[in-house]
Amino acid sequence: MKRQRLVPLLLLLPFLFLLAVFLLGLCSGLVQSFGIVPPLGLTEPTLRYYQELFCSDELWRSLGYSLYLSVVSSVLAVIGGVLLCSALVLSGKAKGRNKMVGMLQLPIMLPHVVVALFAMNLLSQSGLLARLLYALGMISGQESFPDLLFDQAGVGIILSYLWKEIPFVAFFVVTLMAAVNENLGEAARNLGASPIQAFFRVTLPLCMPAIKNAFLIVLAFSFGAYELPFLLGPTTPKALPVAAYLEYISPDLKNRPRAMAMNSIVLFISLGMAWLYYCLFQQKMIRLQGGKSDEE
Amino acid sequence: MKRNSIIRKGTALLLSLLICLGASGCQAKEEQAELDLSQTSFEDLVEQAKGSTVSFYGWGGDELINNWIDTVFAPQMKEKYDITIDRVPMDIDQILNKLSSEVQAGKRDGSIDMIWINGENFFSAKENNLLYGPFTQALPNFKNYVDETSSDTCYDFAYPIEGYEAPYGKAQLVLINDKEKTPETPSNAQELLEFVKKYPGQVTYPAPPDFTGSAFVRNIIYEFVDPEVFVDMEADKENVKAAIEPALAYLRELNPYLWKQGKSFPATVAQQETMYMDGELLLHMRYESYWIATAIEKGMCSQTSRSFLFDNGTIGNTNFVAIAQNASNKAGALVAINELLSPEIQASRYDQLKILPVLDNDKLSDEEKSLFDAVDPGPGTIPQEELLEKRLPEMPVKLVPIIEELWQEEVVGK
Amino acid sequence: MKSKLSLCCKGIVWLAMFGVLLPLIVLLIWCFTERWAWPELVPQVFSLRGLREVLGSQALMILHSSILLSATAALIAVVVGLMTARAIVFYQFPGQKLLLFASMLPLIVPTTVFGMGIHLLLIRVGLSDTVPGVILVHVICALPYTVSIMTDSTRAIGKKLEEQARVLGAGSLRAFWSVSMPALMPAIFSALAMAYITSFSQYFLTLLIGGGNVRTFTVIMVPYLQNGDRTLAAGYTTLFLLITVLVFLVFRKIVQRFYPCLEQNRE
Repeated sequence: MKRQRLVPLLLLLPFLFLLAVFLLGLCSGLVQSFGIVPPLGLTEPTLRYYQELFCSDELWRSLGYSLYLSVVSSVLAVIGGVLLCSALVLSGKAKGRNKMVGMLQLPIMLPHVVVALFAMNLLSQSGLLARLLYALGMISGQESFPDLLFDQAGVGIILSYLWKEIPFVAFFVVTLMAAVNENLGEAARNLGASPIQAFFRVTLPLCMPAIKNAFLIVLAFSFGAYELPFLLGPTTPKALPVAAYLEYISPDLKNRPRAMAMNSIVLFISLGMAWLYYCLFQQKMIRLQGGKSDEE
Repeated sequence: MKRNSIIRKGTALLLSLLICLGASGCQAKEEQAELDLSQTSFEDLVEQAKGSTVSFYGWGGDELINNWIDTVFAPQMKEKYDITIDRVPMDIDQILNKLSSEVQAGKRDGSIDMIWINGENFFSAKENNLLYGPFTQALPNFKNYVDETSSDTCYDFAYPIEGYEAPYGKAQLVLINDKEKTPETPSNAQELLEFVKKYPGQVTYPAPPDFTGSAFVRNIIYEFVDPEVFVDMEADKENVKAAIEPALAYLRELNPYLWKQGKSFPATVAQQETMYMDGELLLHMRYESYWIATAIEKGMCSQTSRSFLFDNGTIGNTNFVAIAQNASNKAGALVAINELLSPEIQASRYDQLKILPVLDNDKLSDEEKSLFDAVDPGPGTIPQEELLEKRLPEMPVKLVPIIEELWQEEVVGK
Repeated sequence: MKSKLSLCCKGIVWLAMFGVLLPLIVLLIWCFTERWAWPELVPQVFSLRGLREVLGSQALMILHSSILLSATAALIAVVVGLMTARAIVFYQFPGQKLLLFASMLPLIVPTTVFGMGIHLLLIRVGLSDTVPGVILVHVICALPYTVSIMTDSTRAIGKKLEEQARVLGAGSLRAFWSVSMPALMPAIFSALAMAYITSFSQYFLTLLIGGGNVRTFTVIMVPYLQNGDRTLAAGYTTLFLLITVLVFLVFRKIVQRFYPCLEQNRE
């Protein structure tokens, strides 16, 4: 019995240590959002920065825009990613080490700044796509190519996220899906299920935990990241992380509490979304497994 | 119940740790020993710095500048003084964040020695006691070659320097276009408006707070309001707004003819640059007067590109090098900065990087002058005399963020 | 029916391949391009400047140490992830879900928020501007990926086989090593890859914590990416991709070497 308690604690020790370091860092960041930055002579705790933010329309518009970008891009990324992953598994390309699967992983490796460069190169009004259409005589000039970048619909940002994140989701799920499909899917097929039935009834539900994790990661990431919306987004409204980033890099170090307050808002919303999703998803899992929790 | 107590204990532990760390940091700060420049001659500094390494933090996005430091400046420092220059590419905002954390934590042997800095960042760093100084009087080359009384050496964005940074290079905003595509070179705000109307959707400027975009907006303001007006202006938003209202109205008037109808602007000057080179935009701007020469030589821009100024002039400033307050090798940094101010090095920068020198022409010997005269600024450039003649001062540093904020509120999409 | 399905699947895969490769081909072209203006479909001015710069740069000299640093960080992150996963999946203790949730935090929280705090902490314990300090923060950033990948696969594999091995007399470590490890290998490889990428492309934190003392490839590369010089950006990015792919191939070779011998052990 004692061992039962000691072993998990030992196993968790390095993780807890790293978590503690992280949380300490996080706390001192969050403390700044209450206006406490000793080296700048700010020591009085205050809610001023939050009050100012919550009173401005700008914040709500930014927030809405961020939510829109992250939800749309992550839902599409998960759909696309699972589709791609399924296609890989069902066509047998996920087995062993296929060169194709390797190539599909390339976008995961690239920094977002580079993805923004690609987007500019391909999707801008002077980009390759526009040039191709122009050469084919389908558009009359740059201005008749649709505004994909820098507009409020954020098409360019979403496409760029998808380019990076569809492969990520696929890559994240494919190992598990290939294994499940091979072992359990095989069993189902032996019992007379068609490959499609076996896939949708057995393989996909069993992969849900990984898909869920992938969705959470993609959602949280795209909600909190500033690079793509900063480089490819409209000047107004700015996505919330962009606004926070601009405050953070502002030469006036006294702007830092504001930046941190914005970041904390981003953080708490991400946490809220994750928690909500976590709760919703768990109920679904219970139903799927006939009343049994998946935590065993 | 049990979980609650764990969380409570954990939080208490974290908080107490934080407080301890905070307290220990404040104590360490007090006992810092300073290098006393009044007691140390330059020869002593050279002696002290022998065999040491100086870390030089600065923006690292230009391969010419990087290569110049690595292949010209660093070898020379090594040979002359046995000092190793360690160039660290880092944006100025990150440098200041790193430095402020180090100072906060009471780190005395700081990792940053020399910083390439100017304007708003210098203001912020000096106000928050992140810089070491005053030091310029300890540098022989500063006394021998730099005009100590000129406003360029005494003020950075109208903020007194007081010896806390030494000049490094001069820059001036220039407009750029291609004479094959656009024969016009708009020489004032009115002509720019006509230009924009003639080429709708193909002109824009980077969105402030981008450094170049922000300078462009200030330059437009100077087209409507005399620079003198701003020198003593109180940094009050209403006040500034009233003063620059004609310029804001003008910028709004430009909007419908701009790229994306003025609803969006490029986020960085780098983006504007790629669009200019791709032919999506017909006008470009740089806060480096002779950038165009290197761009043409590389082949990035067409041979027919050229730079031009407004008749009333464009904003110019100087960029500087400073020393971190907790630098571990102050002596080495001082020797290195002194070397940066030598005619030889300044001429080499002018020749290879097309960066305008900061030395006073009257203080140079004929031989030294010939170093500079021999340099050909390259294709597409404006003669140095014309640049200096049409050079407007930067605005006081405190007004800059207010103007950027006003632009956000009053110009974008309006 | 079956062929229709597989045709459909192949179609999706090929479409994805095309989508992924198109920008990469453009990237390759830009490595040798100075100017490529509207409306041309082929660049007007070619040059070898990008290649020359990249191959002659400081970045190549610090490459091996940069790779080593990221590989170390990735390995540590995977080991920690694996340990955490086993604790969470196989044991019951209070706050389990909270812990799993907390493991995601470094991904959600912007690096600017926790970076400064960690930097202060590391200065005080003397780890700032050192390689171990940088590795520490890289591991923290990679944890969300490794913990979640390892948790998923540990759960999928279960511990039945391991228990059987122990019934047959194997010690618990040995049972884990010879039974679960081979089954976990593909997941370990994925986690290693993700952790490596996270570490290798980490810019902000590496600079903040490492300063001038810890150079990584990314620290030198990113300023060029931001500067709008596409020739250089393309050159650095291509090199970055090549290195990453190469490192992955090496990882795989190592894993493969491990894997068959473990496989034999099991039989």
